[in-house]
Amino acid sequence: MPVAAGFPPDVAARLAAVVGAAHVVGDPADLVVYECDGLTHGRTTPGLVVLPGSADEVSQVLRIARESGIPIVPRGSGTGLSGGARPVPGCILVALSRMRRVLEIDLANGWIRVEPGVFNLDVTRTVAGDGFYYAPDPSSQSVCSIGGNLAENSGGAHCLKYGFTVNHVLAARVVLSDGSVVDVGGPALDPPGYDLLAALVGSEGMLGIATEVTLRVLRKPETTRTFLATFPSCDEAGAAVSGIIAAGILPAAIEMMDRLAIEAARAATGLDWPDVGALLLMDADGPRAEVEHVSSRAIEIARAAGALEIRVPKDDAERLLMWKGRKAAFAAVGHLSPNYLVEDGVIPRSEIARVLREIGALTQAAGLRVANVFHAGDGNLHPLVLYDARIPGQEERAAAVGGEILRICIRSGGSITGEHGVGAEKAAYMAEQFGEADLETMQRVRRAFDEAGIMNPGKVFPTPRLCGEKPGPYVPHPVEVAGLAERW
Amino acid sequence: MTPALARAATDVDTICGVRPRLAVEPRTVADAAADLEALAKDRLAIAFVGGGTDLELGAAPARLDAVVHTRHLSRVREYAPSDQIVAVEAGMTLAALQQHLAPHGQRLALDAPAAAQATVGGIVAANAFGPRRTRYGSVRDLVIGMTIVRADGVVARGGGKVVKNVAGFDLPRLLCGSLGTLGLIAEVTFRLHPLPERSATFLVGPLAAPEVASLTRATLDARLEPVAVTARAERDRLRLAIRLEGFAPGVRDQGDRLAALAGSAACELLEAQDEARLWDDWERAAIEGTVRAKATFAPAELPSVLEALRALAATLRDGELVVHPALGIARVAGDLQSAGDTARAVEAARRTVSPAGGALVLTAAPGGLRAVADVWGAAPRSIEIMRRLKRELDPENRLAPGRFVGGI
Repeated sequence: MPVAAGFPPDVAARLAAVVGAAHVVGDPADLVVYECDGLTHGRTTPGLVVLPGSADEVSQVLRIARESGIPIVPRGSGTGLSGGARPVPGCILVALSRMRRVLEIDLANGWIRVEPGVFNLDVTRTVAGDGFYYAPDPSSQSVCSIGGNLAENSGGAHCLKYGFTVNHVLAARVVLSDGSVVDVGGPALDPPGYDLLAALVGSEGMLGIATEVTLRVLRKPETTRTFLATFPSCDEAGAAVSGIIAAGILPAAIEMMDRLAIEAARAATGLDWPDVGALLLMDADGPRAEVEHVSSRAIEIARAAGALEIRVPKDDAERLLMWKGRKAAFAAVGHLSPNYLVEDGVIPRSEIARVLREIGALTQAAGLRVANVFHAGDGNLHPLVLYDARIPGQEERAAAVGGEILRICIRSGGSITGEHGVGAEKAAYMAEQFGEADLETMQRVRRAFDEAGIMNPGKVFPTPRLCGEKPGPYVPHPVEVAGLAERW
Repeated sequence: MTPALARAATDVDTICGVRPRLAVEPRTVADAAADLEALAKDRLAIAFVGGGTDLELGAAPARLDAVVHTRHLSRVREYAPSDQIVAVEAGMTLAALQQHLAPHGQRLALDAPAAAQATVGGIVAANAFGPRRTRYGSVRDLVIGMTIVRADGVVARGGGKVVKNVAGFDLPRLLCGSLGTLGLIAEVTFRLHPLPERSATFLVGPLAAPEVASLTRATLDARLEPVAVTARAERDRLRLAIRLEGFAPGVRDQGDRLAALAGSAACELLEAQDEARLWDDWERAAIEGTVRAKATFAPAELPSVLEALRALAATLRDGELVVHPALGIARVAGDLQSAGDTARAVEAARRTVSPAGGALVLTAAPGGLRAVADVWGAAPRSIEIMRRLKRELDPENRLAPGRFVGGI
């Protein structure tokens, strides 16, 4: 078995004995695949990759790692956008992609128990025949894994009404860094004790590795109504969003795109969207009469706010096409610019129009362009900063703009990440969003789970080393290039 | 060093029968931090008190030198109606908060009992909830940010004031239900929901337990979206209340469809004062009495669970049983008659709910019952990690020691 230089061969042999030699990757040429996740810059080669097949194997792997003092980096499908699964030098990367079984389905009690490597969309596919679905819908849902969703507390367009992964995980079996196996939560609500699941979900692989996850599944809503509204600018579109929310409407999703993002989506998909300053796409779902009422009220509000045109899809195919245009916008920016970087920040919803103007001015001052695609209902922005790496200085300026956008989010009372996670990429900004005491308290939680500090080091928490790092360019992930998933 | 404003404790400062020596009543979060730092210097064991509605929850503290009241921490720190968020200090009562929000057509979608006394901080610490949990989830689904004061007096924040936020570990959710054993919940930020245009409650029954289960299931299978589904035992039967909220046309249509689902069962539609009275009565039924229990269970097991809980209620004077069948949570409340009988019924109910992952906690019990029944039941399998968490956040074990699960 070939092993990269520097990785202790005896540890490699012990790990191979646990998971089987066929499930160990040590050849430097093969390790390249694992150098990064969906955030494709800042690559690091892991020491060794192991692909365990069971909780027991994960436990043994972690015990060996701990005895050897080697850091562990867990990885699901590797679609994360913040470098949460980025290796650290010499680490053991534990890939959960072989653990892909559905273990138990109990629809009478509304849950399903799966292994961490199961794809998000496959959960829905498994229960769809019975009229159920799994609500969190990150845009990489056809390939991202439930274990990764748990680590990142993944959201999606529809989390406005339905919440995030943390609102849908009922229980998990977790292996801690000392190899112990812990069952947290339970299929029944409110198991006595601390809400350990709350700590685990969104802990970015730093507290443990989930080997089984029990998820709540919901009955598919009876009715979904969608409409698309165009506006002269983001000001009117933002006012429409505020008006809809102020009217007491809770849409299932309400998405917004600006002129450049619309142009990109049109170029990529050939949709007949007009050349306008902004566009809204809204889903309402639930019982029939309620949804019909809410949808027509929202359309009235959009008109009153200055909508140029309202389009209501005539059937499900046309509805999906509208959503396809929205989803395509992200990768479609590649049609407009050789390079771009993606941000993920959150601002209070009422600040959308003001913050967009600020971002526009900032980008213009740097001599760059920005396309905005975002979840307007919860103020989750995804600015895409366009640049050309061949022009000297542009990449640095884009990175600086990206960092400044995060600072705008913090200053507005928002957050540096709504769904992509902090990972390796934004750890430096945590010290700007949180105070020292806040971070030190979170570190205490970390120590309770991982006293040795070997689980996914270098993520989430700022270290002096990371303070100089800047956001990097966006490079499409292989699954995206292959057309398997869109991301934003 | 004793905090400057400490007073001698009185009977009202007693927690689960244990009376402290001192009581402090900080007026700001900064005061609270200074008080906790001072109490830490003397290594005093402390507990936190909000409105006092859930003080009976948990085991009696092994040590208790001082209580910290949050009643003067009662300000709204920030309310942004257009962002549907509010940040409030822990000592504000739920009713006062709702009154603050109502003029803007909003509410905190959390209908924990005794809203006029129960404080925001106490509700979060006790993970209190009401019937609307069926639709809106529990405290952890509504909390988006929190400021805590640690045992050492250090103020720490988690989360923020935007709903969608994955930066950092989730301290706010971790503190939900922690009963003051990890830190003082000093300020909480919530996401809010609009007040509905219309509300109506469909009251069905009396029904047998399997009928409650099947009508609940039929309602959900029809993909209606009730905000509450709650049943109350009446002699050997139950009445089922299904609450609908939303815009008028939606509520009307869902009501018509519910009537069709109920078939020949006796039913009536309650609105306005009649509706409010029903829910007030049922809320009181679930919390009045010297003995209170909360059982969680797999919803599909409803009939057998109801039988065990009915037996528990029967051991109490004026025993009441209120159940949320879609959630798999039930409450039993009444006055103690025979500690031995009640303790045996508690154990029998635990044997019924635990195989499917459920639990039964005595949320209030007089000393006589505490002497013969364990209020928490068996420690969870993850108790070791809970102990480690406690040691990290309260290394001197001074925050209500012994009150929480497994002797934490």
